[in-house]
Amino acid sequence: MQSLVAARTNVFRQSARGFASSAARAQAVPVQKPTLNKEFKIYRWNPDEPSKKPTLQTYSIDLNQCGPMILDALIKIKNEIDPTLTFRRSCREGICGSCAMNINGQNTLACLCRIDRTPTKDTKIYPLPHMYIVKDLVPDLTQFYKQYKSIEPYLQNDNAPTDHEHLQSPEDRRKLDGMYECILCACCSTSCPSYWWNQDEYLGPATLMAAYRWMADSRDTYTDHRKEKMQNEMSLYRCHTIFNCARTCPKGLNPAAAIAKMKLELAAE
Amino acid sequence: MSAALVARSAFNRNVASALARRSLRPMALQARGAADHAYVPGGPIYRGSVNDPTPFPTPSKTHGSYHWAFERLLSAGLVPLTVAAFATSGTAYPILDGLLGVSLVMHSHIGFDSIVVDYLHPRKFPRIGPLATWTLRATTVAVLVGVYQFNTNDVGLTELIVKAWHA
Repeated sequence: MQSLVAARTNVFRQSARGFASSAARAQAVPVQKPTLNKEFKIYRWNPDEPSKKPTLQTYSIDLNQCGPMILDALIKIKNEIDPTLTFRRSCREGICGSCAMNINGQNTLACLCRIDRTPTKDTKIYPLPHMYIVKDLVPDLTQFYKQYKSIEPYLQNDNAPTDHEHLQSPEDRRKLDGMYECILCACCSTSCPSYWWNQDEYLGPATLMAAYRWMADSRDTYTDHRKEKMQNEMSLYRCHTIFNCARTCPKGLNPAAAIAKMKLELAAE
Repeated sequence: MSAALVARSAFNRNVASALARRSLRPMALQARGAADHAYVPGGPIYRGSVNDPTPFPTPSKTHGSYHWAFERLLSAGLVPLTVAAFATSGTAYPILDGLLGVSLVMHSHIGFDSIVVDYLHPRKFPRIGPLATWTLRATTVAVLVGVYQFNTNDVGLTELIVKAWHA
């Protein structure tokens, strides 16, 4: 039996070589992309060492061995260079809003931001500006969520139909376009100077757009209640139409327009 | 979790619960006075627990939509008013001249007041904030008196600008 196996192996070896071991294949060199090193300067702060000031740490990675987006670079750095680097990420396709951070001076989602492939220019990555930092690139969004909760972001209607669907005309539905897509990544709110100075009282563009999304909904009957909440100096009227929110939104929405419509409706009532 | 972080979050929780306890009695659902909550620089102090929504101030249209609408109408009204004041002679239409003077002063008062509310709010600056507000009010009144004196006893605002322009 053993000799039979050996004989068959011999026959196999002497037969014509397969493609994988052909002469041409043996000479071919695997395509090696040239290394394209680029420096990433990333904000680091460790709550375990509160006496140490935040610093920018430089990491150099080969872009040809990395995915195209900033989030790919961050994951590569965390996997291969420094596992202590801390950041939030989840869906990697711009729908969860976890990886919002300040990249080269612009608040955006790391997963939607392409790496600038100029090797001489470094890329600076900071957490969302003017927020309390939990660690490295992770900001404390508690206040942001508390504010979102304060505007009652759900449908309120005491006479909602029970026997059939709660219908809405296509025109009324279209009023919500450009608002319902918001993923609450907080890029807009943290880019707003008014929100920087007064974020304990001013609601900020993300929350205000969410508030107007429910005011504009034809099925919601609590519009007056929602509007009355905004009738004070701080919650809404700290918006000075700076438009940083519309400029920075990684989803291409326009919170400033929603706020302007809300102001107009409040003034017209 | 290090001891420092635990201590820090415990501190926050203590402060938050203390604030919540303090604010429970006067906080009738949404209404909240400034005394319930102290602004503490250097740390996030949440009113109530992390799951409580942020409260809203007592609604007041005077501070809300009326103020905004007045400010916008005044700004828009200043455009034709300025054109009209310069198209006519200030000495021939003293009412128009006076109206322009008052509107300009009110417009700039609202603008400066907005700066004070943004950057020197009394909740953050309990001394400088009210001081800035009252300095601004005093200045506005003084300027209004000055404009009145100038328009009644002298050539008037429009004439002055015309003269300075041609000087």
